[in-house]
Amino acid sequence: MQVNGQLALTVLMGLFLVAVAAWVARVENWRSYTPVAGGGGYGQEDSYVSNEKPSGVIRWLTTVDHKDIGLLYGAYALTAFVVGGLMVVVMRLELINPGQTLISNTFYNSLLTSHGITMLFLFGTPIIAAFANYLVPLLIDAEDMAFPRINAIAFWLLPPAALLIWAGFFPIGDIIPAQTAWTMYTPLSVGEGLGNQGNAGVDLFLLGLHLSGVATTMGAINFIATIFTERGDKVSWANLDIFSWTVLTQSGLILFAFPLLGSALVMLLFDRNFGTTFFAGEGGAMLWQHLFWFFGHPEVYVLVLPPMGIVSYVLPRFAGRRLFGFKFVVYSTLAIGVLSFGVWAHHMFATGMDPRLRASFMAVSLAIAIPSAVKTFNWITTMWNGRVRLTTPMLFCIGFVSNFIIGGVTGVFLASIPVDLVLHDTYYVVGHFHYVVMGAIAFAGFAGLYYWYPLYTGRMYQKTLGKMHFWLSMIGTNITFFAMILLGYGGMPRRYANYLPQFATLHRLATLGALILLVGQIIFVWNFVQSWLEAPKIKDGDPWDLKDSGLYTAEWDWFDRKLQTAIADGGEEADVVPDGGEEADVVPDGGQEPESDADE
Amino acid sequence: MGTEDAHDDHEHHLPAVEDWPRGFGEASWWPFVTAAGAAGVYVAAALYILGRGDTSLVSPLAGPAALVASIGLFLVGLYGWVYHAFVSTFWSREANPDSANKLRWGMLAFLGSELATFGALFGYYFYIRAGNWESIFVGIPDLTGSLVIANTTLLILSSVTLHFAHTAIRKDDRRKFLSWLVVTVLLGAVFIAGQIYEYYEFIIHEGFTLTSGFFASAFFGLTGLHGLHVSLGAVLLGVVLVRALAGQYSAERHVSVSTASMYWHFVDVVWIFLVVVLYVGAEVGV
Repeated sequence: MQVNGQLALTVLMGLFLVAVAAWVARVENWRSYTPVAGGGGYGQEDSYVSNEKPSGVIRWLTTVDHKDIGLLYGAYALTAFVVGGLMVVVMRLELINPGQTLISNTFYNSLLTSHGITMLFLFGTPIIAAFANYLVPLLIDAEDMAFPRINAIAFWLLPPAALLIWAGFFPIGDIIPAQTAWTMYTPLSVGEGLGNQGNAGVDLFLLGLHLSGVATTMGAINFIATIFTERGDKVSWANLDIFSWTVLTQSGLILFAFPLLGSALVMLLFDRNFGTTFFAGEGGAMLWQHLFWFFGHPEVYVLVLPPMGIVSYVLPRFAGRRLFGFKFVVYSTLAIGVLSFGVWAHHMFATGMDPRLRASFMAVSLAIAIPSAVKTFNWITTMWNGRVRLTTPMLFCIGFVSNFIIGGVTGVFLASIPVDLVLHDTYYVVGHFHYVVMGAIAFAGFAGLYYWYPLYTGRMYQKTLGKMHFWLSMIGTNITFFAMILLGYGGMPRRYANYLPQFATLHRLATLGALILLVGQIIFVWNFVQSWLEAPKIKDGDPWDLKDSGLYTAEWDWFDRKLQTAIADGGEEADVVPDGGEEADVVPDGGQEPESDADE
Repeated sequence: MGTEDAHDDHEHHLPAVEDWPRGFGEASWWPFVTAAGAAGVYVAAALYILGRGDTSLVSPLAGPAALVASIGLFLVGLYGWVYHAFVSTFWSREANPDSANKLRWGMLAFLGSELATFGALFGYYFYIRAGNWESIFVGIPDLTGSLVIANTTLLILSSVTLHFAHTAIRKDDRRKFLSWLVVTVLLGAVFIAGQIYEYYEFIIHEGFTLTSGFFASAFFGLTGLHGLHVSLGAVLLGVVLVRALAGQYSAERHVSVSTASMYWHFVDVVWIFLVVVLYVGAEVGV
């Protein structure tokens, strides 16, 4: 059974990789000097520097241009999204029936583990890095990232990290994929006892995870240095755009969260291979959970803050007005950043930890709902009485807000100890966090991918297909994950490949939703690729008609200048406002209090 | 001073004046090469694990061999990178305060991440120290001997001498700068030798090794991690020293002196904290 499942997955992966290779080969003319998108030597002033880039594949291997690296991150993240998505489709198919049907239970556990790690570390973080790399230097008027070459190395560490993480799926000797779940709880992950977690596949997985953490940390250092030191003359802290604020906060979280996980992973590897006893003793399991969640909960905000930034940035463009309460959205971002390090033990309420500690973590966990709600109300108020245009990116933004409300409110219940003790380790938890990671984070990612599609491809996607993608995703998400919330109320435990017959209806519903999601994502890939190859070129530097509502921003101005490089002009600069809520040249260096943003 | 002639990029002694690939401005192979080397280290660790045990998949030598090759590649990449980014055009490029600023911010952020790296191990140690300590702290050799005191003094002293060196280059006093820098690197080397001697004493004579239990995990984990950091710091200072001996640095151009100093001072502060909580703190109140 396991062999069948593995074979099926290998074939799927093979087909997929061939498709990617074929697409890349079509997109990129290997012998031409013409860049795909975003090329050229924008902002280079050194006279001896040539503006051309090497041709073909060498261009991509040697690039240090933040836009190219952003595209590399994007391609990598979307590849991982497809892999992680196909993994979960196999799992959902297995769950159609209560008993074992398609794949073995151990293979189910492997898919479960890899789906989580792939989506969080290989899709979530890199897709955010894609947006941040491409956009932050444009938005803050920097020539490039602070350290363009560190930017490149941080990306190039990721593909080997993915190969190590997935190594167990490849036919290498008797290596099997890790089955520790993404939380890697000890003592299971130490490999003791009769289980098969002593297998070297787990070690490879841990090594890959560590490598991806190193890459992420390098990226975070780069973003911090960039936003602190590379801002253009007109971009002050007072008018820094909301997306850069969220990336800055996220980078601060990464800085303290990821290296700690890195050390914990090395300690685990030493326990497994060199006879140390970090997690072996009495309380070792608790220690691992403390260290893991000290990383793991900030990680949640690492993943959600920049998508919130994307929504805060994109949603006002189609509501026809500035972001309501800009300052409070920034403050709530910073508040979430600080509080996120004080909530980790709410993942451990059921472990029998000290009740006094538990209560304090409950208090902070409930408190973190406040800044999240501040943001939500600001998004809603921005749309209130606005001139809402239901374009695809706007639909995804509204879907984000809607799903985030459900994901957030279910989270408030989980933060409460008595409720958590009932719902802990049930599908309720799975439903809750998937509403956030799929319903919110991925939706914001799609909003960004559609909104900036003209920017990085120079073309426009097909609007009908975009809307189909949205509606299938929205319906699929809500069917799948609402069914999970109900399953959790019924007492269905997480992580099981088999279940009692009474849960069959809801599980089938969830699988139906997952298949709807699959169809939606196939449409997305089709639309994305075909439009990139064949859609007519955009000629207007303002494809979203933002100038009409006075919401034109720096990245489109850059795009416009790129379109018109033949014509020497520069008179448009004055129209551009950084998104910080205030005209750049009105604010004298933050000394003057910017007035309310959205009261017109 | 022997520095003016470095102005000329066509000077014979410069190994390479063009970056690689040539003539494409910003594009560079170095990040890719360095990344391949760094990833190779992880692959080597994987091969080492696969080569262990009776049913090993690969030869037990594959891991170490891959490690040597990867570190070599990594160093080649780093050399090309640093050489072309900072060394080759040291005098001809502008002394840009913005560029200095971003390098300092980068180092500062990196040190922030280092806090977390040490944090996990200190977290483990505090966790067992607050637990059933009497039963854990058994059969441990005497920690606070004269060696630790001497080593700590050396490391603190090296921070002071490095500060003198830094002040000297700010005043353009190259002679003082060079001599204090040499003293710092020597002190660092002696510290590392002292740590190796301590390990030798513990492991060979006292039988206190990595696998000796809960405290050994904390002790070797923390001192080992710190030792790696001191070694990296010594390498950084060594690079600074070589560049200084080659005639680089002046009152206006000393960014890498200050970033390497920041790192060295950080490692020193961590050591003081480590001695207080791990060496002294383990024995207090037992």
